Amino acid sequence: MNKRVKEIAGAVGFMGLLSLVSISGVAALHLATAERVARNADLFLQRAVLEAAGVAVPDAPAAAAELFRREVAVEDGSIASGRFVVRAPDAAARRTVVYRRRGRGLWGVIDAVVAVDPDAGVFGQLRILGHNETPGLGARIEEAWFQRQIAGKTGPFALKPEGTRSEAPTEIDAITGATLSSAAVRDILNAVVRNTAEAKEAGSP
Amino acid sequence: MTAKTNWTRFKENLGTQNPVFVQVLGICSTLAVTNVVRNTLVMCLGLVFVTALSNLTLSLLRNRIPSRIRMMVEVLVIACLVILVDIFLKAFHPDISRQLGPYVGLIITNCIIMGRAEAVALTHPPLASFVDGVSSGIGYAYVLLAIAVVRELLGTGEIWGVRLLWPGWVNWSVMVMAPGGFFVLAVFIWVVKGGLMRPPEKTGG
Repeated sequence: MNKRVKEIAGAVGFMGLLSLVSISGVAALHLATAERVARNADLFLQRAVLEAAGVAVPDAPAAAAELFRREVAVEDGSIASGRFVVRAPDAAARRTVVYRRRGRGLWGVIDAVVAVDPDAGVFGQLRILGHNETPGLGARIEEAWFQRQIAGKTGPFALKPEGTRSEAPTEIDAITGATLSSAAVRDILNAVVRNTAEAKEAGSP
Repeated sequence: MTAKTNWTRFKENLGTQNPVFVQVLGICSTLAVTNVVRNTLVMCLGLVFVTALSNLTLSLLRNRIPSRIRMMVEVLVIACLVILVDIFLKAFHPDISRQLGPYVGLIITNCIIMGRAEAVALTHPPLASFVDGVSSGIGYAYVLLAIAVVRELLGTGEIWGVRLLWPGWVNWSVMVMAPGGFFVLAVFIWVVKGGLMRPPEKTGG
């Protein structure tokens, strides 16, 4: 009995010590790179906002960040607010509002930015910032055709079977085998339709 | 284990005991990440790093690991190394990290790493285990890179952004999709095992 207790205590102690060493190593690298990772995430968001609004984004990170600072007004001065007003590239074009919205997918949160014309309610581009959907199924929300299909439409959206390629302003194609992921994106888009209408009523830019 | 047997093991892992086309391990990532050469190279470097260091670490610890919890220890060491690779990619190669998505994390479940830990690291000295880990990783890597070159070239006409096929080339889209991975891997295994590694036919009765 005593031998068995010793054996168990030895195993638990060994595992505990090894876990402590491993976690310390991982935590050290995490802390050393946290600032850099956060900067990368900010830059990715800035690129996505500009791309959604149809602005050509330069490859160089510094140039992209500078373009974002110049062309985009951030609501409440914080990118966490989730509402960005992108200036028109020329005086004739309308300005665009880009919303960052999250929805519940199959495995986790789907994080996206969507551009919309605040006056006409016409959608620009969709960009997926992050998700945990199934590779090959739900993860196909990142495919170009899926993100492109909302451009020029007005919503509120209903899903159609994949391959329909509907031109109707209130229809988008779902992804076969990923009904919940498609519905999550639809709900994000429909939330933006509501937000746009509310902002228009309130008379905000 | 002598230097000569280390060299023999190194050669075997690249050829007659290759983890991909002989042992048919690590097929999930072989199919998933081989549509772009750049991503494949990063995945392969990550796997070589994890296989080599997990073998080395477990071999150094092999006389102290309680046998009842050896698999927990193996998973802890492997998972820790994979998370280090993941954090490094997020900090220094965010685009590749995003494109590889869950597959970096899934290195933890790659059968090659656990297989080498169980078969070699727990019973061999550190140098032999390290050599085995490196060679298993390289054996996996060159097969994946060969498949990736074929898939990216036929699927996009380019390799690493450099146009290699003539301007009128029609891309074989199936090559960059999952079925393309199955086809190319199957042909690769068929050519290698059916042609290059075919045992000499027996003569007489």
